[in-house]
Amino acid sequence: MPISAHFVIRSTVGLLTLGFVALFGIVGMTSWLNERANLNFDDVIAARDIRSAAVELRDALRTAESSQRGYVFTGNEIYLAPYDAAKVQAQRQLAALKRLLPADPTTARVLGRLDIIATDKISEMDQTIQLKKDRRDADTLALFRSNRGKALMDEANLFLTSLVQSADERLISDVGEQRSNAAMLRWASILGGAVIVLVVAIVVVTVTRYTREIRHARDEVRDLNASLEERVKRRTAELDSARNRAEVLLAEVNHRVANSLTLVASLVKLQSKAVSEQAAKDALAETEGRIYAISLLHHRLYSSGDPRSVALDEYLSRLLDHIETSMHAEGHTASLRYEIAPLQLPTDAAINLGVVVSEWVTNAFKYAYPEHPGEVRVSLLAMPDGCAKLCVEDDGIGRPADAVAKGTGLGTRIVSAMAATMKGHIEYAGESGTSACMMFALPPVNA
Amino acid sequence: MPNPGVQRTQRELGAAAAVLCVVLFGYYGAAVGAEDGPPGLTVPTVLPAFDRDAATCTGPPGLEKVLAFAQDNEREFMQGVRRGLAAAAEDRGLAFRVELAGNDATRMNQLIDALRDEKVGAVVASPVDPISLAPHLQKLIWSGALVGTIVPPPATLLLNAPQYLTGKVLGDAAADYIRTRLGGQAKVVLLTHDSLQFLAPRFVAMRDALRDIPGVTIVADISPTTVNKQGGLAMMRTILLAQPKVDVVLGADTVVLGALAALREAGAARPDQFLGGIDGEPEAVAEIKKGDSPYKASVSLASPVFGYAMGQFAADWLDGRSVPQAMDILPKALTLANIAQYEADVADPAAVFREAARRDAYLRMYGNICYDTRERYINFPWSSETK
Repeated sequence: MPISAHFVIRSTVGLLTLGFVALFGIVGMTSWLNERANLNFDDVIAARDIRSAAVELRDALRTAESSQRGYVFTGNEIYLAPYDAAKVQAQRQLAALKRLLPADPTTARVLGRLDIIATDKISEMDQTIQLKKDRRDADTLALFRSNRGKALMDEANLFLTSLVQSADERLISDVGEQRSNAAMLRWASILGGAVIVLVVAIVVVTVTRYTREIRHARDEVRDLNASLEERVKRRTAELDSARNRAEVLLAEVNHRVANSLTLVASLVKLQSKAVSEQAAKDALAETEGRIYAISLLHHRLYSSGDPRSVALDEYLSRLLDHIETSMHAEGHTASLRYEIAPLQLPTDAAINLGVVVSEWVTNAFKYAYPEHPGEVRVSLLAMPDGCAKLCVEDDGIGRPADAVAKGTGLGTRIVSAMAATMKGHIEYAGESGTSACMMFALPPVNA
Repeated sequence: MPNPGVQRTQRELGAAAAVLCVVLFGYYGAAVGAEDGPPGLTVPTVLPAFDRDAATCTGPPGLEKVLAFAQDNEREFMQGVRRGLAAAAEDRGLAFRVELAGNDATRMNQLIDALRDEKVGAVVASPVDPISLAPHLQKLIWSGALVGTIVPPPATLLLNAPQYLTGKVLGDAAADYIRTRLGGQAKVVLLTHDSLQFLAPRFVAMRDALRDIPGVTIVADISPTTVNKQGGLAMMRTILLAQPKVDVVLGADTVVLGALAALREAGAARPDQFLGGIDGEPEAVAEIKKGDSPYKASVSLASPVFGYAMGQFAADWLDGRSVPQAMDILPKALTLANIAQYEADVADPAAVFREAARRDAYLRMYGNICYDTRERYINFPWSSETK
């Protein structure tokens, strides 16, 4: 299963936290154990002092007893040399024990009993020594035979041994605790270290695995990009080819449409020649003109390379030139002057505009100058606000406002229909000459 | 107040030490010199094991087929000996008589002389005063009678109580209990009997038995001022002041019973403690039989058993057969588990003697002697434990 970046971050943070906890645990335990070690050391010192005092008290009593017995047995005072020093030492160590041992009722009873025993023992030894000094050997022997001295020494040994054993137990316990603490620290360090190593290992594995997956993903993306580029390139080439084929096909269609319309126009013209009635001839001629206007546009379309829009200056110039030529061939004498701004219109709008221009210019040639030559002026200008204005003007006989339309009136209807399609606004003026203008919006070429 | 158990121990076993003192200081040698007869074995000698198939010899001529028991007093231990002797005499067709000295040494000496005068064939004695009795016993030996003693010499058949083994039996029982029931950890009190030096091997054996257990701490190794129940009580009170927690107490039954009273008085007695003594005191046995008492063992010497054996050998002697020069009565640690069997054994010592395995569990025999070789009688404080 792939590793997510979120997982990597969360797991890394979690593991690092665990590692830090382990580290803090080791540090904390070390500090705690160190404090306990200090307490243990204090206890060890106290136990050692108690043990030392008990042992020295026992040694002092034994030394005093040995001295006493040596003197009593031999009568030689040389044996009494260490006696007084031993007594002082015994009393000093007894005082030390009283100072060192805790002040609880049990210890107080033990110390009280030990005090009595030591005092009695020293008293018994003093008594026997004094009896010996007084040469009362029988009394001395009787005192010995009472076994009181031995019993006192035995009892003193009992208490002192108990104190020594108790101190030894404390020492053993403290040493054992120190060993236990050391072992605990060792295991905690090992465990903490193992946790840290494990954390690092897991992080390394995770990061390595994540890096490997990223590298793998990057390679896959790179391969996909390369494949995609290839596919895009191939697709682009295919699209280009398709577009070219479509353009060729469209141009061919436009060419055929233009040719067909030209053929239709020629047929209409032939038809007009076949009919005798002037009105029919005129209607067919107008129809031919209209068809030609449309065919000319299709001709422009397949020759311009952009079937979606039409360059009006080229299209209308050609159309106007053709109308002028046709009109002159029909005997009309007006001349044509035009000013066409280089505007672009979508094909449909251009067809409509071409039909309007054809209607208005043809009418001007036909009706403006019945008597004498004149000028027909065509202008297409770009206006502010994204509009254009088409005007066909002449200086001919003009057209009153209430004048009846000449011809069939079809042309006027066609123009109106075309203007409506283009959402154009037509204005006519006929006081001196005729002026027909249409304001229309310039739609976006790609719309 | 003197404790009967202590007095018994002193009399039974202390006699050997007293005789040893006599030998060392030459008093006894002087006494032997005043008589006319072989002195016997006066130099410590290692005796071989008793040979049951040893050659027979002639029986003592002119002696009556009578077994007499010169008894120092009627304490239970000696009454057991008496029962054993009586049973053996009955089984072997000997007349049996008891001469009671009532703890009177002089009377005891007179009784021995009288028995010799009456040509009694076998006499077993429990001396009141071993030192003064010795020459009287020697004369009896020279008369050809079998002389058995409990414990001091001289004797043609000497009964010995091995002190080290006695202590070892109790020490081993305690050690086993410490290992199995106390997890190898115990604070032990040894209540010794310092006034009788010959008993020291008992406590040496106890220390030896406990030495190998690392968790054992001997918190007190001390002799009560008086070796009786009151002395044990007083000493244990003092010990509890120094060591409030005690797991094991060992010593003579009387002092250990005193220690038990002190533990109970202090509220420190626990069913898991091991209190063990020596002597098989009835009170100690009663404690053991309770089952939940801290008192777990008492080492006892089966006096009816060795009494019966001595009676059997007395009959053998009179029949001209070879008998042991010495016998060890092996100590038994009485516990709740074996006390019934022990009581059955002492109730029927003849059955024990007939069955070799059971007999050997109680008795160990050394040397051979008969009427013809009676000059080899033991005349030194013999012990199988002498090195």
